[in-house]
Amino acid sequence: MSPDILDESSVIWFGPQHVSAHGWAAKLTIVGDYIVECDPNAGYFHRSAEKCLEFRNFRQGSMILERICMMEAFLAEYPYIAAVEKIVDLEIPERAKIMRTIMMEFNRIHSLQFWWGQFAGELGLFVMLLWPWVDREYSLDAFEELTGSRHTVSYATPGGVKYDFTPKFLAKMEKALTRVKDRMPVFEDMLSGSPTFRLRTEGVAHYTAKQALKWGLSGPNIKACGIPMDLRKDDPDPNLAYDMIDWEVPVINNEEHPGESDAFDRLLQRFKEIETSLDIIDKLLPLLPEGPIIDPKARSKANRLPEGEGYGRVEGTRGITTVWLKTMEKAQTPWRAKIRGPCFASYYALKHIVPGARFADFPAIFGSLDPYPGWWDR
Amino acid sequence: MGFVGNLGDIFKILKHTFRQVFRRPFTYFYPFEDREYPETTRGRHIHIRETCNACAACVRACPVAAIRIDKEDKKFEKDCALYFDYTRCLFCGDCVRACRYDALFHTPIVDISEGDREDLIYGPDKITTLDRDPLEWRGRRFR
Repeated sequence: MSPDILDESSVIWFGPQHVSAHGWAAKLTIVGDYIVECDPNAGYFHRSAEKCLEFRNFRQGSMILERICMMEAFLAEYPYIAAVEKIVDLEIPERAKIMRTIMMEFNRIHSLQFWWGQFAGELGLFVMLLWPWVDREYSLDAFEELTGSRHTVSYATPGGVKYDFTPKFLAKMEKALTRVKDRMPVFEDMLSGSPTFRLRTEGVAHYTAKQALKWGLSGPNIKACGIPMDLRKDDPDPNLAYDMIDWEVPVINNEEHPGESDAFDRLLQRFKEIETSLDIIDKLLPLLPEGPIIDPKARSKANRLPEGEGYGRVEGTRGITTVWLKTMEKAQTPWRAKIRGPCFASYYALKHIVPGARFADFPAIFGSLDPYPGWWDR
Repeated sequence: MGFVGNLGDIFKILKHTFRQVFRRPFTYFYPFEDREYPETTRGRHIHIRETCNACAACVRACPVAAIRIDKEDKKFEKDCALYFDYTRCLFCGDCVRACRYDALFHTPIVDISEGDREDLIYGPDKITTLDRDPLEWRGRRFR
């Protein structure tokens, strides 16, 4: 790039007031219609969640976590619970393990439905914004029936889960999942079969598997490059039920450009994630045994924790989500908590992906990476 | 054929238009009507002073310190007065789970907006009663 070109450049702030930028901001240097430099700015959502965790006891901390990312509330609160369960010995009943896993996959489907509508909305397809969100309402109704809240479910607690599955909830979940299954072919046809959509996404936001590993991407963003990196398979949590059944890691490997992914591949990848989640729920529901849903001694054991370190991690919708906890002897609250969100990496990857793209492609680029501001500001 | 065909199309469109006009709306005529909430809904609380034992388990369980307890204010033998600050409450349901004496419950009332900030601090007189029956007020009057 010669300096003469940069003389004619102009700087545009994309966000934080822009409708598509959900409260975040990127400083774009533009020459003509092309973006030559992208400088993502974090910090608009900072609510010091890590510091807040230091003042909450081990049963209260997960409420902070689920408010970081409302769309995957259960997946967001679970790493904290997993970290607590690493420090103190708790016997999780079999029923609770399976219930957690079912709820996790159900939440993943809900989160992906949200993303998918939002992605289409960012590209200007407003019918496609609303249609998945109508289906999402059925999932939310099921969450409400089970826990009493639509988004912030507060479902897991150290030692098990809080609410037992009821016939009403199972009926509502069945209804929501049947609806997703029925409408998947329609949506696949509307998005991946639509020439407008393909023109806007194919060849946009291109990166290789090597670059993705270097930038620290995880989740669907790296699986779309053909790397089967999935914590559910690689390091199954002993307190979840992923190792009880056979399932395959969803991976897209495009034959035209193997080992690379563009925005369209990542869309297909997320479709495949929904199919895998549906498959896991179908296989786990018949395995649900009768019995207690929480360790009877959980309340007294989680009251004061021994000295130790706990590292809980989970494969979230957007990537690997982890919480690290350090406790002192007879601790009521963590001495230090560290949250690793999946989206910080994908947000700062914009710096490398965006230069060279057209300005109109910018929503397609960040939409396909599925960034959620809560995860990088915490 | 062309004219008749066009006329047919026009009638088809008119049929859809008229059907849309006389159809009931998909949205709710809020606040006069609302959807039905499940029993488990975590709405505003109700405090039953008859069974309360003033153990303050709800106060200790609250992650945001939204509950204040006044043990001096006694109506019955063992009870206490609770002050709920709904400007802080997360509706996480931990206080209700912590109560061992069946004295604290959630209600399906979720619209508790007020004009004044002070009105959202529910004192003992407000938290022990329901000012309106949720089903009566939000009945399906317009359907």
